[in-house]
Amino acid sequence: MHRRTLLKTTVMGAAVAGFPLPLRAQPKTIKIAAIHTVTGALAEPGQACRMAAQIAVDHVNGSGGIKSMGGAKLELMLGDTQTKPDVARTEAERLINAGAQILMGTFNSGDTAAIVPVAQQRRVPFLVDISAADPITANVARAVKEGQQKVQYVYRNFPTGSLFGQRAVQYFTEIFKEAGVSPRRVVLMHCNDLFGTNQAKGFQAAHKAANPPWDIVEVISWPEPPSDLSTEVSRAKAAKPDIIAPITRPASALLLLPELRKQRVEAMGIVGPGSPGLYEAGQLTVLKDDLEYVMTSVPWPNFKHPQAQRLAEEYLRRSGGKMLDTNSGYSYDGIHVIADVLERAKSTDPDAVVDAIQKTSFKDNLMISTGPVVFNEIGDNPNAAPAMIQILKHKPVAVWPKDYALSKFVFPRPKA
Amino acid sequence: MAEGLCAEQVRLPATQGLILDPVLVVQAVVSGLLFGGVYSLMAIGLTLIFGVMRVVNFAHGDLMVWAMYLAWLGATRFGVDPYVGFVGAAAILFVAGFVIQRQLVDRIVDAPHEMQILLMLGVALVLENTALVAFGPEPQRVRTPLTQAAVWLGPVFVDVGRLVTFLVAIALTAALWLFLYRSDLGRQMRAVADNGYGAHVIGTDVRHVSAVAFAVGAACVGAAGALVAPLLPFQPPTGLQLSVTSFNIVIIGGMGSVLGAFVGGLIVSVAESLGAVFLNPSMKELVSFALLVVILLVRPAGIFGRRAI
Repeated sequence: MHRRTLLKTTVMGAAVAGFPLPLRAQPKTIKIAAIHTVTGALAEPGQACRMAAQIAVDHVNGSGGIKSMGGAKLELMLGDTQTKPDVARTEAERLINAGAQILMGTFNSGDTAAIVPVAQQRRVPFLVDISAADPITANVARAVKEGQQKVQYVYRNFPTGSLFGQRAVQYFTEIFKEAGVSPRRVVLMHCNDLFGTNQAKGFQAAHKAANPPWDIVEVISWPEPPSDLSTEVSRAKAAKPDIIAPITRPASALLLLPELRKQRVEAMGIVGPGSPGLYEAGQLTVLKDDLEYVMTSVPWPNFKHPQAQRLAEEYLRRSGGKMLDTNSGYSYDGIHVIADVLERAKSTDPDAVVDAIQKTSFKDNLMISTGPVVFNEIGDNPNAAPAMIQILKHKPVAVWPKDYALSKFVFPRPKA
Repeated sequence: MAEGLCAEQVRLPATQGLILDPVLVVQAVVSGLLFGGVYSLMAIGLTLIFGVMRVVNFAHGDLMVWAMYLAWLGATRFGVDPYVGFVGAAAILFVAGFVIQRQLVDRIVDAPHEMQILLMLGVALVLENTALVAFGPEPQRVRTPLTQAAVWLGPVFVDVGRLVTFLVAIALTAALWLFLYRSDLGRQMRAVADNGYGAHVIGTDVRHVSAVAFAVGAACVGAAGALVAPLLPFQPPTGLQLSVTSFNIVIIGGMGSVLGAFVGGLIVSVAESLGAVFLNPSMKELVSFALLVVILLVRPAGIFGRRAI
């Protein structure tokens, strides 16, 4: 390349790259990048997230957009991580280059963790709608606290792995007590990706801290997705479990549950500390009776809220027969949290948005929680909480805590 | 009673680490051996195509995923049990393999390896994404009465679905061996595999033989896919994992050797299964890949391989 051409191109490039910033100040539409695991191993939940985000954007725009910004409409820019962290990073870069002003995503902790540095470097606020691994926000919060970074741009409206663990141990203990039984031996079985490992650690740490009258006698992990779990199940069986506590992904749940039945693992119940794979419509179709009476502690829509019921009907219609659940619910809430933040920020300036995020107290969330959406010093929402759901007559139903329960749990499960 | 005994022995060791319970070890060997039938079936199609054409089929796993979806369609839409329907899946994949070879692979047989890899990766991408559009992202698994059943030999349990798959794998390997060593077309294939130019000189229609070899390889993949559809959950991206496992087996067994692929499948599966007993189960894949490294160091052509690659 000619030296002068090079110079000219560089100057023009810099000019183009520099201009959008001032232009962003008064937009007619606000661009939100929804980056989810739309293809790859976690495509099913990722597509649910995307669909719910689209519905939420329609609702926000339908009710007049962001009023404090002259009725500015939200525009959803779609990204797909392919369930690969490297792609997640590239997608975030691509969408920011295309003008994204706020990021949301991704469902998979590994992918979300890969976007975090991009959001921090490019100063684009990132609301994690779903991902439980603690380090996602904790690492940034620490870097800001230690002065390595000035501002935290990453916030999460989803329970963390450690919160999942605490609630799971609490619900396990409460349910055992309520049922009037005292199981002693819990076998923890988990997938070994970032999510599964973090979730298992959270559960074990919470167990150690709470010291309940039951023990985790064996911990068995597998590479995700596994091709065979028969030996893992044989090991679990040999540990004489009263409770099998699985942390699965959709693919591993399809192997694990039939294998537990085939090897006749006699336990009082299968009670998960919180993971996908145990309640989704597709899983229920394939696993049928193998999922009956399975309990898992997951974030769940508050169906006692009439708006959640209306949303569930709309979601069923627009998704072609799928139900509103953990994933669709949290992505829907995510967009509404963003809309609330923008309403108060009155601007898309990253620091104004971050300031508004930190002052959030959003009460209209549809997911079961212990209070309004707020963000603590780590950037997490301490009020985000899972609920214990159980598959009864092939449908997931909230059964614990009592305030949100739509049905009484069945535990110990009836003998086949 | 035997189960009670086994539990007593297990309570002694630590929750993680070495477990020396004989029942668990026997169970792991039985499960591993039977699951090895699945691995063997997967690898045979790959090794045949490589043996004849020296083309590494990177679309192998994705073809298999399509066969799994065919079995799923057959089972859910038409009520055909995959243990019968695998013949249909094999027939469809035979035709697909023939077409892919004639229309695509034939053009790059003599091209440098990187061109072949690019083409086959392209085919793999197309197959994966058309499966995503056609069947959606949810993981699937075919339910049949056979896979619901288990036989108990004392404390050791035998999964009937795996047992049947294992027996079919033996039958198919034997049939393929007979075809290669006892039929004219099979001899021609071996001739092309040994020396394509020489085979051409003595009047073999190398193009046709290659297309049939690819088609037979694809048919094996088809049968394998349909037979494992009740055992393995699958979704469009599963193909890559299946390809990697198959490559591993084929390299351990010996590239191009049908018997090698069969034995390799059993070895890898038993090694993984025992790995899950003696180590942390999440490290079991380490065992099979460590085996690969050892084989490459000690016997680079594989256990049954005749030439170094």
